Amino acid sequence: MHRLLLIVTTASYRAGAFLEAAGRLGVPVVVGSERPLALAAANPQGSLTLDPAAVDPAVREVVGFAARHPIGAVVAADDDGVILAATAAAALGLRHATVNAVAAARDKHRMREILAASGIPSPRFARLPIAGDPREAARRVGFPCVLKPLALSASRGVMRADDEPQLMAAFERLARLLSRPEVAAQGGAAARHVLLESYIPGVEVALEGLLSGGRLRVLALFDKPDPLEGPVFEETIYVTPSRLPIPAQQAIATATAEVAGALGLDEGPIHAELRMNEQGPWMIEIAPRSIGGLCSRTLRFGAGVSLEELILRHALGLEIESYERERGAAGVMMIPIPRAGVLRAASGQAQAREVAGIEEIRITVPIGQEVVPLPEGARYLGFIFARGQTPQSVEDALRAAHHRLAFDIAPPPAARGGGEATPEPQRRAQRW
Amino acid sequence: MVTISEVASRKVLAMLKAENRTDAALRMAIEGRGPGGFQYNLRFVKPEEQAADDVVMDAGGFRVIIDAASAPNLQGATLDYVEGPEGSGFRFDNPNPVWTDPKAAAVQKVLDDEINPAVAQHGGFVTLLDVKDDVVYIALGGGCQGCGMVDVTLKQGIEVRIREAVPEITRIVDRTDHAGGTNPYYQPSKGGHSPLV
Repeated sequence: MHRLLLIVTTASYRAGAFLEAAGRLGVPVVVGSERPLALAAANPQGSLTLDPAAVDPAVREVVGFAARHPIGAVVAADDDGVILAATAAAALGLRHATVNAVAAARDKHRMREILAASGIPSPRFARLPIAGDPREAARRVGFPCVLKPLALSASRGVMRADDEPQLMAAFERLARLLSRPEVAAQGGAAARHVLLESYIPGVEVALEGLLSGGRLRVLALFDKPDPLEGPVFEETIYVTPSRLPIPAQQAIATATAEVAGALGLDEGPIHAELRMNEQGPWMIEIAPRSIGGLCSRTLRFGAGVSLEELILRHALGLEIESYERERGAAGVMMIPIPRAGVLRAASGQAQAREVAGIEEIRITVPIGQEVVPLPEGARYLGFIFARGQTPQSVEDALRAAHHRLAFDIAPPPAARGGGEATPEPQRRAQRW
Repeated sequence: MVTISEVASRKVLAMLKAENRTDAALRMAIEGRGPGGFQYNLRFVKPEEQAADDVVMDAGGFRVIIDAASAPNLQGATLDYVEGPEGSGFRFDNPNPVWTDPKAAAVQKVLDDEINPAVAQHGGFVTLLDVKDDVVYIALGGGCQGCGMVDVTLKQGIEVRIREAVPEITRIVDRTDHAGGTNPYYQPSKGGHSPLV
């Protein structure tokens, strides 16, 4: 069997799940990562050092490797690798969304331009340099608005502003974040610009889908029962199946298919974030990859097939018996970071595991390390996973388990001065 | 069973006296194997903390308790106490082979010769815990413990090399408490953004 080229960064949560799926399929894997792996010399056919920011040389490396060890599929696990994966797949003549489509989905401003030009409901938007003055753009976009960094993802740096003073404060804060050396290096030109969008009210959902020949199959629709209304947009709970009315779910699926079509995405996994209000669904973002973090553990299909196995089967052209998600409800909580500091202890895990429906709790930040909340933060404290009869029982289990966890976070070292106070998002009445 | 050198014996007695625990026993066990050979555990325990199958010996002034699983591998060993410019501490001189099972010895050789020198560059190490019914049990430490790329290291490196060297091995099981890692070499982040991109 031909190899799978799995493009995964060294900062990914996703490597293990894809390797496990490949192992179940018996597919040999070559891992492409931006840094040499510790055991690269022990298994030279098992890894390639591929810099996703230098696509052309990376693709040459892939093509040279494939001449000796044929590659049957290219899959990127994370945002950073998707353009490289699309380009490498095109060079090898493999099934994948096109480079143009993937690049359009990766660029939040380009995506907005394409969707607006296609007549798809879109917020008002403007792209502006981080060195500029946002007030003129805000006048065109209107308040409330949302500032989004073009270079980051997973809600990092995203802030809502209801008026000009809030806008200026958020803009300055975002400028400081984007000027950090590691962020500036990461984002390149994109790190010097931000996107300003009019705020779209409504409930938010996440759609996990798989495109095949331009046809979208909805694999799961997640509700996000915690309000995402700003000032920052911290994703916490995902629960599937959705409790939205079926017509609303169908409208979301139709809207996602239209957006994918407008961008030219026609093959492979997509992860889309949408808002739903009385006007219908609005696309917030669509990414040509699968769900991030460890969240895919909530999903099982047919006779227990993982999301990653489904994606690999599609990419390799293998038979897929079922796209049907298991019966019952499942959910995950991405454990929020309550305040900046140094994580000294995480306790209560045994008690949290005793909550009915809780399957697993994973604390992913090592003890002793600094934790930073949104909008600057780039990590989750960990994940809580639950399954149950109904979405409500899963949501209740996640909240109960989270309530039993305690995190001892010492104040951040004063010398660093990086811990700005983040307003605690107000927990409003549940709407599901 | 185990010979306690005079220096070691004096040190143990002095420690028991200093801790005001003259009735305590010295429990010794082999808790793992690493590149340097056996990894030992020494601690004082209350006299009643003794299992039925433990091996017990009188060391002259204090008792030594050896757990049953460790006893065969401690047969003929000598416990000494050494002091020198690089530090001081108890040291075992143990004539027993680290592994008697040839498959385990072969796996240990792969770890010693190839895996551990490579992962040491990332501050990590791999310990062979056991080989039973053609299943290898390992634990990863240092920079490997909790590392975001540990699955890649395991499946694309460790598993491949062990299976190549010892084809009879059917499975490699990672017994590491990855949540307990305090200094993982690679750490995941939202969006999986590469630190280099």
